[in-house]
Amino acid sequence: MLETIELSVSYGAVQALKGMNLTVPRGEVTAVIGANGAGKSTLMRTIAGLVKPQSGQVLFDDVDITGKKPEDIVRMGMALVPEGRSTIPELSVDENLRLGGLWRNKQERGEARDQVFALFPILGERKGMRADTLSGGERQQLAIGRALMSNPRCLLLDEPSLGLAPMIVTQILELVSNLAKESNIAVLLVEQNAVTALRVATTGVVLNLGEVVKSGPAAEISSDEELRHAYLGY
Amino acid sequence: MTNFIDYLLGGFSSGAVIALMAIALVLVWRSTRMVNFAQVGQAMFTTYIALTIQQQTGNWLLALVVAIAAGVVLGVIVFFLVIRPVKNSDSTGAIIATFGVLIALQAGAGMIWGGDPEGFVPPVDNSGLEIGGRIWPFSLYDILVLVVTAALVIGLTLLFTKTALGLSMRASAFNPEVARLSGVRVNRMLITGWAIAGGVGAVGGILIAPVSTISPTSFDILLVFAFTAAVIGGLDSLVGAVTFGIGTGLIISLISGYSDSSNAPVVALILLALNLLLKPDGVFSHHGSRSV
Repeated sequence: MLETIELSVSYGAVQALKGMNLTVPRGEVTAVIGANGAGKSTLMRTIAGLVKPQSGQVLFDDVDITGKKPEDIVRMGMALVPEGRSTIPELSVDENLRLGGLWRNKQERGEARDQVFALFPILGERKGMRADTLSGGERQQLAIGRALMSNPRCLLLDEPSLGLAPMIVTQILELVSNLAKESNIAVLLVEQNAVTALRVATTGVVLNLGEVVKSGPAAEISSDEELRHAYLGY
Repeated sequence: MTNFIDYLLGGFSSGAVIALMAIALVLVWRSTRMVNFAQVGQAMFTTYIALTIQQQTGNWLLALVVAIAAGVVLGVIVFFLVIRPVKNSDSTGAIIATFGVLIALQAGAGMIWGGDPEGFVPPVDNSGLEIGGRIWPFSLYDILVLVVTAALVIGLTLLFTKTALGLSMRASAFNPEVARLSGVRVNRMLITGWAIAGGVGAVGGILIAPVSTISPTSFDILLVFAFTAAVIGGLDSLVGAVTFGIGTGLIISLISGYSDSSNAPVVALILLALNLLLKPDGVFSHHGSRSV
């Protein structure tokens, strides 16, 4: 389980997160939604260790990971798929995947790789090709696949729908939601695309200007018209 | 025509050494996105160490191994003492700092070993081979230089393409943030890049020493040629560094043969300028843009 306690982050004079409290249980998807600039990416980058918080704590299975380095956090079992299909175009598909779990032993890596290929068969077919020959949806699968190579207990997905066709987004998110259930992974999904995100999520959290304005069951959030108009813009 | 072939043959081994120095520059570039102008100074220093060992023991192989080890250590020292503190401010500062290291190494070498050029005895015969009743400008030593260079290039290629360390280093170079998020200890990879560059440079230095001579500044000209080769090759490509390193060696040999060796650096700089005007990203670069 992932928890943030009174997490605050600021960039100079701009406060991006104001005392954020969040719980992400295992086995389900928790969606954080909100407009551009709500602090969603900051939240993800802070949890993953790329940004140092001003105050507050990040707990991962009751271990305080606040301020740890990203390379240590991922080795503890928390993997971030950053915004914008974060594959490395110069490397092959297989190299991109291998990169995700290089510190693990050979057998573990082999098993993880087989699982990823079973989940995303296209990656197995294209494993020898350079990552920049893949389509947008395939690259997003590769980015998620790489994160899975670390055998995460918690998966952080930052705006996976960005630039993808709606049908592909739905496919990928449903796959992720099944994965959360089957492998008992805590998934934290951050999305601007609220409709799709809330469809696969169990819990929804609405973020505005660095503050949680509402959290509750995803169905409740998506049917709250006032909330939708005020913060989600549809 | 005979002259042409002779000049060409004479250029291969110096081209190989230029390629090695260019590889060293490329490895540093790939790690920290900057040019290490102290690279030839480090190579000069380790070659002096090799010279001392060879003079004491007469064992070239021992001298080579110690020079490589010293090159690796020196690479790490330069990274920690000079590059790392400056790196966080801006890269121009760090590049200037590498010039400082170059001058310090030259001054240090002058104090320890004196400023007079010294000869370096080659481990095998360096006189032209006689084949078919004529003497060719190609010696047993030239063959050794090419074999060592080829072995090193193959070894590095295997390291980068076949091993976990190589993959981590490449990922760290292409996208440090994604590498860190994948669990790669990027800082260690940067240091490793500098260390390997130091070792490769040391090999280049010890190989060129018997052909030139060694003095605190005798490798400076090598920097001009290696820098040209590395930049034309795209600064981040090993293939580019090797291709244009050897190419530069051949061109220098032809120019020295037909005109005068003092023209060679000028031609190298003209090539560099043309490259930056016509194809500023280099021929083998992975990336769309860069700043030198």
